[in-house]
Amino acid sequence: MKKLLRLIFGDIRNIISVGAAIALAYAVQRWAPDAAGWALVAALLAAGFWQAAG
Amino acid sequence: MNATQWGGMSAIFLASAVEWVEAFTIVLAVALTIGWKRAASAALAALGVVSVLVAVTGAGLSIVQTDINRIRAAIGVFLLLFGLRWYVKAIRRYAGRTALHDEAREFSETREHLAHAETRGAWLVAFKGVLLEGLEVWLLVVALGHALSYVQASGSALAALFAVTGAGLMLRAPLTRVPENTLKFTVACALLAFGSFWSLGGLLGERAIWPLGDATLLLLVAAYAAGGRLIAIRLRLPAAAVANGGGA
Repeated sequence: MKKLLRLIFGDIRNIISVGAAIALAYAVQRWAPDAAGWALVAALLAAGFWQAAG
Repeated sequence: MNATQWGGMSAIFLASAVEWVEAFTIVLAVALTIGWKRAASAALAALGVVSVLVAVTGAGLSIVQTDINRIRAAIGVFLLLFGLRWYVKAIRRYAGRTALHDEAREFSETREHLAHAETRGAWLVAFKGVLLEGLEVWLLVVALGHALSYVQASGSALAALFAVTGAGLMLRAPLTRVPENTLKFTVACALLAFGSFWSLGGLLGERAIWPLGDATLLLLVAAYAAGGRLIAIRLRLPAAAVANGGGA
């Protein structure tokens, strides 16, 4: 079961990365709806850098 | 069939092919130890479990009556979690921070491990190997299948299985020439693109967030591909460090 959950969600850094990226996009959407999607992309790229560098 | 469906099917085909290549290496090593008949029975048993899981979850999810946007958002978040994992792995391999997956080494290590194993133990190694790789295929088929079509999603995974098994049986050797990291990176970019599109589209309204509609998917794939390659270049380790086994 633990293996399956890890298969789905990855490690804690992965969960934090995706959660934070969506939260950021959600916040941006309130002020600039057109930019929310690309804010998500930018946040995920930053998360990719953070995780790959670690 | 529209471009989104083609994109989804291609992503499942490529992702499944990567998983089946890894599974084939294990089955081949087991077959050379306990014979093809027993190894094939283990692989078929594992594939049977995966097929049941696809059928049960597919049927279960089709019964659930809920807002399509909620389902898309949930699937999108799952694809982001799954895609980001593959993305980071592929970038680390491009950057030399993690060793490239080597099917030949995997094959010889499994052979070594099986050298003193009993028939039952070897059968279990093949079963578990195929099951573990198959579970990843199951997750993708269920996620993308619900948003596209289960027939198309499982058909793509099955086509990849036949392609890999056919090539493997012809060669009777591990499929070492498959550019696994490039495939993994391409699939990760596609998964992140679908995940971004559906998660925010489902949560906040597709038209408001992605005014270009489905065409945005191509832009998203390009953005993740370009970004990933730039990150890999930025994180690339010096050749000496790579020769010493990479970073962390």
